[in-house]
Amino acid sequence: MANTLRLYLTCIRNTLEAAMCLQNFPCQEVERHNKPEVELKTSPELLLNPVLICRNEAEKCLIETSINSLRISLKVKQADELENILTKKFLRFLSMRAEAFQVLRRKPVQGYDISFLITNYHCEEMQKQKLIDFIVQFMEDIDKEISELKMSVNTRGRLVATEFLKQFV
Amino acid sequence: MASFERASPALKEILLRIYRAEKPIEVDHHLYEFGSVEYHIKSSASAPQLTYLSISTPLLTQGVLLSYGLSPYTTQMVREISTDVLEIVEPATEGYQLTLRLDFSKIPRGKDSLKVITEVSSVQSIILSSQLKEMLQSVNSWDASQGMYKPIKLVYHPREPFYVIRQPHKIVAVFPMRFKDYSDVIIATSFFQELMDVGSSEKWAKAPPCNWSPIPPAELRGEPLEDLSTNGGFVSFDISSRHVEGKRLDKTVWSLLNFYAYVKHHVKCTRGFIQRRMRRRLESLVEVLQNSSLEDDRHIRKFQENAGWQYMKKLVKLSSKSKILKRSCRDFTRKIMRIRFRIKIHGFGRFRRRWLTMLKFSSSKGYTKLE
Repeated sequence: MANTLRLYLTCIRNTLEAAMCLQNFPCQEVERHNKPEVELKTSPELLLNPVLICRNEAEKCLIETSINSLRISLKVKQADELENILTKKFLRFLSMRAEAFQVLRRKPVQGYDISFLITNYHCEEMQKQKLIDFIVQFMEDIDKEISELKMSVNTRGRLVATEFLKQFV
Repeated sequence: MASFERASPALKEILLRIYRAEKPIEVDHHLYEFGSVEYHIKSSASAPQLTYLSISTPLLTQGVLLSYGLSPYTTQMVREISTDVLEIVEPATEGYQLTLRLDFSKIPRGKDSLKVITEVSSVQSIILSSQLKEMLQSVNSWDASQGMYKPIKLVYHPREPFYVIRQPHKIVAVFPMRFKDYSDVIIATSFFQELMDVGSSEKWAKAPPCNWSPIPPAELRGEPLEDLSTNGGFVSFDISSRHVEGKRLDKTVWSLLNFYAYVKHHVKCTRGFIQRRMRRRLESLVEVLQNSSLEDDRHIRKFQENAGWQYMKKLVKLSSKSKILKRSCRDFTRKIMRIRFRIKIHGFGRFRRRWLTMLKFSSSKGYTKLE
């Protein structure tokens, strides 16, 4: 299990290293505007082929690149209903606070749980390697956090159930 | 029932204030509590020892019971709170089910006074639990000739009815669970599964067996559909004679009456826990990103600072030697100049410094001129 995760993350890392070659490119259609081309998708010559990396049916990563921006969309594994609601709650919580992350998108791409938008400006302010490390670390942390949350909720439930049944004894 | 304590905290505080007042005070309080419970406390200065307490509480409706008010068993349980201090006034004040006359002069002094007042403040829980106690006490007196018992629907809160079904040697309490939010349903369902797991273990063999199912149990067949449509499933407890013996009866009854409130409280606390944990995690995730953006700046600044400091260190080390050298050179040149130039022009030095020195190239942008 850990091996497949390592391979998955390594594949994503290598793809991001190749894809994160961004440069400033003003908008071709509107004067004095500078927009992330991966979001608009109006000029096909500025877009690269999107790459979809699937670990399994439930977990996948979509990397869409353009000349001045890069969009990474993640689908996190959700084994049962509890993980489903915990994932939704947590990722929605993070998305609502996207300004704290700078590279996080407020709304995930349809079909995915969370999305990042990295522009050439981010690459100028931050180191490329550190950005990639952050994305990969984020993916690991999310998985770990959801598992820990699920375990905590079940443990709390067990303790509360024990306290309830103590009243009868 | 907002809190799980039997005694009403507000009522207890008011009664304690009246009891401990040094001078007689006029009191006419109307107190409203969660669960449509209403209290009316009246005390006059002319008769400071007597206080009248009226209670209105929704009863566990059973159709027949409600029309006749409180049962004799309930009134007996209320009297047993404190036979000296408490007396039931007949008829009750209009709009209330029960009126009590409290004689504070008969309350024993010292620590016992607090105990008595606490018991008086728990009169509402006594009324409520006495009705269920009556039903549970008959668990051993099941008559085989009567056949299958129809489920008894008990309604404390209008939207939270629960059923009590008599069976041979046990009574089954079934709680249909309903929640507003889907995430509440999932959290509660995981709690019910843990409750089943814990209850089925050997350590908790003495506790009543608990069962959860998403569909209505067979005992509730024939009940109205609106009562059986739930999103949280059905939780049932099998109460046997062991759970209603002696003091356990009171605990069992109170636990069953508070089951809904217990579950909802747990769901609410779990949501709060999840929120707090997410907030903490957010801080740690953001810190990683901030460190990644600032780390290089810090390295560069550190390097520059270090370089500057090392340079300064070098300067400090050499300055004493260079100073001495410079001073000696200056003295020597001055001596030479004095010897060579016997003619001195006053003010020439100043003129030379002002007009004859080469201007240094400087730019507002701080560029250095390349040769």
